[in-house]
Amino acid sequence: MSDVILRATGLRKHFRTGGGMFARQSTVRAVDGVTLDVRRGETFAIVGESGCGKSTLARLLMRLLEPTDGRIDFDGRDISDLKGRDLRDLRREMQFIFQDPFSSLNPRMSVGRLVAEPLETHHPQMGREERREEVARLLGIVGLRPEHADRYPHEFSGGQRQRIGIARALASRPRLVIGDEPVSALDVSVQAQVVNLLHDLKAEFDMTLVIIAHDLAVIRHMSDRVAVMYLGQIVETGTTDDIFAHPRHPYTMALLSAIPEPVHGRARTRLALSGETPSPANPPSGCRFHTRCPFAREDCAQRVPELRPAGPGGQHAACHYWEEIAAERPDAGTPPAHERKPQAAARFALYEAAIDRLNDRPETAVNAGANDMTQQEEDRR
Amino acid sequence: MTTPLLAVEDLSFRFRGHDQDVVQNLSFALGRNETLCIVGESGCGKSVTALALMGLLPSDAVRFGGGRVTFDGDSYGIEDAGRIASMRGDRMAMIFQEPMTSLNPAFRIGDQIAEAVERHRRCGTEAARARALEMLRRVGIPAPEQRLDEYPHQLSGGMRQRVMIAMALANDPEVLIADEPTTALDVTVQAQILDLIAELQTETGMGTIMITHDLGVVAEIATNVAVMYAGQVVEYGSVQAIFDDPQHPYTIGLMSSVPSLTGPHRRLSTVPGTVPSIGQMPPGCRFSSRCPFAAPICAERPPLAPIGGADHQVACHFAPLETMQERRA
Repeated sequence: MSDVILRATGLRKHFRTGGGMFARQSTVRAVDGVTLDVRRGETFAIVGESGCGKSTLARLLMRLLEPTDGRIDFDGRDISDLKGRDLRDLRREMQFIFQDPFSSLNPRMSVGRLVAEPLETHHPQMGREERREEVARLLGIVGLRPEHADRYPHEFSGGQRQRIGIARALASRPRLVIGDEPVSALDVSVQAQVVNLLHDLKAEFDMTLVIIAHDLAVIRHMSDRVAVMYLGQIVETGTTDDIFAHPRHPYTMALLSAIPEPVHGRARTRLALSGETPSPANPPSGCRFHTRCPFAREDCAQRVPELRPAGPGGQHAACHYWEEIAAERPDAGTPPAHERKPQAAARFALYEAAIDRLNDRPETAVNAGANDMTQQEEDRR
Repeated sequence: MTTPLLAVEDLSFRFRGHDQDVVQNLSFALGRNETLCIVGESGCGKSVTALALMGLLPSDAVRFGGGRVTFDGDSYGIEDAGRIASMRGDRMAMIFQEPMTSLNPAFRIGDQIAEAVERHRRCGTEAARARALEMLRRVGIPAPEQRLDEYPHQLSGGMRQRVMIAMALANDPEVLIADEPTTALDVTVQAQILDLIAELQTETGMGTIMITHDLGVVAEIATNVAVMYAGQVVEYGSVQAIFDDPQHPYTIGLMSSVPSLTGPHRRLSTVPGTVPSIGQMPPGCRFSSRCPFAAPICAERPPLAPIGGADHQVACHFAPLETMQERRA
């Protein structure tokens, strides 16, 4: 068995827009030549700002969209042209978690039916009783309680709804799960719960996870390898540690330096980008980043950069001049860890210990909701 | 501290038909050139607080339980809608999270900015338009002469937010309230907008109230911070105090939930559970249902009004954390 579970080669997706009575027709090059490998068992992150094509790429990988060009292999098998029954069988192996827990669940279906639905599709041989038990088991796995099966989505908070979405994705026992911004609609404290849950589930079910996100801090936490996208193309890829310690592409550098860090009184030099992302309907010539790049040279507008090796650990960057830029910006990576004041550090340790004590219970069913919390409180007394 | 520019005392209000306050006993002071960050998660009451200060809550939907505002030496009650309306857009201005929905799609942006100027300064259309142009230039919009006659849909999100800022600042307000102004924007654009606000603040000396959920933004721009949970300020202090000496369990929980860009990989700490709905708030400390340290007294009795000095206040029976441990041991 090869250790690449998902491979995209020269993947393109172009959308035609306009062409009506008023607008001239144009072609949006949402994904424009993406090649990547996702390895078995890893968490692979695709990061970029709005309009970079990351969500389109995720949908292409899942075959939710037809690629305009290019090829996708899942587990060594070309899936670019699968149709009908074969495609449905593929969905059993590959599942999707959507960003918005509010619009991705049918409000008229009970949680039990929502979670049972993929079971009916993918495991039709399952009897009614068995399916009910399986739903209860899945709800338990994501930290909800069996009796939640009779309730409806509107009765749950955003974090709990995202758990329902995860239970649905897990129902067919997929080997690969693609999450499109799975935590970005959630508040930080709840986001942390879901990040931890995904981490645990991945280990427990031996899954491969592809995460689409715009939040680099979340990505650093969750992923093993990262691909950074800009205007439909991958501009840099490598292990998470490499990318954060020594980004090579100026766009990655700018992204990293733009994130405000929750640390008081540390001045960081910011690599400011002028302007905003150009339209993917009319991408700049040469290197697509050259219109905003603070290091752009004259020929960047003409020559198209290819991804090329940029470090020993498999890091690649699509920049003609990364060597010079990296030499100019030796401190482009994330700064050393911030030391908390001793009194604050002691309190954080106390807090974490208290949370660990709460979590130190069988099942992953911790932190599921206020109700469960009260339950736990009662149990403790 | 000298007399603050804007001081709010004991602001409490609830929505009609509810018997619990959505914002309870909120007090703060804001000086010239200072930035107060109100930080908290969705539903904590930070946005309605901003709307209340701007007099933008429909009077038939809210009941104020209290709230005295002192603005530049003048004191008035928060329910004095007429008073607030006369200052709104002039001495106090606000920018919103969604630049997409807070601009009128049917009017040219130049006209929208000019309208705010004409409304408060008795000046002619020409002068107002000139002011609009000047403001667009000041907020860094390229080719402002052309942009003046464009419609909001022709601008990107970042540009729209710049237009909102131009509109808010057109009358040189003394107080700017910004409700999550960068949440809908990409990080690289967020950085530009935060820099712009800071720059304009230095130029004009205005006081800024920034409402945000992002502790990174807080650390970067705040002078003082109010951490809100479920309608109550649980901790209030200078930005140093909040980051170097956080005392309330919620502040600490919130901070440890944020994934870090630096340091060793560790499992994220969380705040267990979710915020109870407003009808199910415990009568005591509202955080008690989620606090890993809660004692029986916490759910029953509200913590005595903020303990600690004026520059760092914590609403917790047992803060700081280490005291709590000792007492319970």
